Amino acid sequence: MKAEQIVEAVLFASDAPLRADEIARADESLDEDAVEAALQALKKFYLESGRAFGLVELAEGYQLLTEPQYASYLDRLETVPRPSRLSGPALEALAIIAYRQPIGRIEVEYIRGVGSSGVIRTLQDRGLVEVVGRGEGLGRPLLYGTTRRFLEHFAFRSLEDLPRAEDLPVVLRDRSTPILPEDDSDEGEEGVDSADAKVADSDAEGTESDADGADSDAKVQPVLDDGATAQ
Amino acid sequence: MTTSRSRNGPRPRGTMDDEGHGFMVELERFQGPLDLLLHLIRQQDIDIFDIPIHTITQQFLVAVKEIRAGELDSAGEFLEMASTLIRIKAQMILPRPVEDEDEDPRAELVRRLLEYEQIREITRRLERSEAERARRRAKGWIEDRPGPALDDVPLETTWEEVMQAAMGVTLPEVVDRDHRVTPRTVSMEEKAGLILDTLRRLGGSDGIEFRRLLDPFNDRMHGVMTLLAGLELGRRRRILLRQSEPFRELWLYPRDESDAVREVETAQGGSLGPSPDGPPTEET
Repeated sequence: MKAEQIVEAVLFASDAPLRADEIARADESLDEDAVEAALQALKKFYLESGRAFGLVELAEGYQLLTEPQYASYLDRLETVPRPSRLSGPALEALAIIAYRQPIGRIEVEYIRGVGSSGVIRTLQDRGLVEVVGRGEGLGRPLLYGTTRRFLEHFAFRSLEDLPRAEDLPVVLRDRSTPILPEDDSDEGEEGVDSADAKVADSDAEGTESDADGADSDAKVQPVLDDGATAQ
Repeated sequence: MTTSRSRNGPRPRGTMDDEGHGFMVELERFQGPLDLLLHLIRQQDIDIFDIPIHTITQQFLVAVKEIRAGELDSAGEFLEMASTLIRIKAQMILPRPVEDEDEDPRAELVRRLLEYEQIREITRRLERSEAERARRRAKGWIEDRPGPALDDVPLETTWEEVMQAAMGVTLPEVVDRDHRVTPRTVSMEEKAGLILDTLRRLGGSDGIEFRRLLDPFNDRMHGVMTLLAGLELGRRRRILLRQSEPFRELWLYPRDESDAVREVETAQGGSLGPSPDGPPTEET
């Protein structure tokens, strides 16, 4: 049997993206290179034969998905489920977690200015974020990060597909700057007078999981200090 | 208030009269205090690095006054921001020592505002990616839903029992499929009254089947509210709820504080014939 057919069968039967190494487990004759070659051949074949679906690269893997222009037809059928969309607050919290992971709930709330335990719970229930560790601060707070399901939901291949900080109209603060001001760690967060507070816990750098998307904003200079003090 | 999807595009969320005061905003349109502040700043073309803290505080407080008593939950976040603004205002007025290296009191607020604005932009982009992705469907695509932790729910029952219970449920026929939900809902208090009245009419310690309480009403909402009322009365120790085993009929008994103990005893050994190995599931 040809590698292409095996790979196609595996993709067809899967309801989630599969990595090349996962597909390769289907047969001893397959290795990652063979799978990659087969994937490229299939991708080309679907495209050239005008299929209504194609091979899409997402969430570090591959999946067969319908082409976007057929969405309106599928929407007419009640039996074809529609993807659910996130609420505004949930998206906002997810954006913060995606860019600042690993990050604790308190920091998310400080950035948003509103309580966020509910939305974080929702994101967790939907498998978009997960607990990735504990911070070093008081009570060893839970730290959250995004999952593969998150990449899948937005069709990102990896965290590198997140909008880059330098493409955005406003500059993020330097990642080495702590989110929370130092002087009031317990309740009132608005410590307006301590710009150089120490890193509380969760914002520690050099964590493996945020290597991709986050590195780009690490380069951004904290331009705000100068601007803010110049009166 | 924070549930509104006020995300993309300029929406008329507040208007200013010609003189520049009398700022009207609809608070529930904002995701939170930072959103409101940014709106105030952006709408008036204020330089974010030189915020006229007096004016902004004033406007913010006016907006916060709109918060009604019923919305106090999210009001806290707005009030907290108001106090921050007032604090900054005070710090601006107070003379600072010359050698003081402290930065502008507004600096941290500016940082938060800029960061929040950035997050809002990212959120908008994520929303677009999400919409784009939603146009592509996978084969056998299944709506993701929070999976219950199955291990935590030991379900000791057989399919026959489930079937029986299912057959016993009589659902009212849906006559008019596009009926509208009327604002006049069934109140729980009303149902609590019905339960107590019925039990009083029966007299003594006689109980009644939950099902019979629903007989006069052929409506799902009545069923829901009667159940809630029953649970609430049980919690308040006004009645006893009893079910010999899962999926069996639910019985409601009157309960007096004085004879509460007797009630429990008679009901346990009584006419219901509870199975010896399955103690009554609800006992309030």
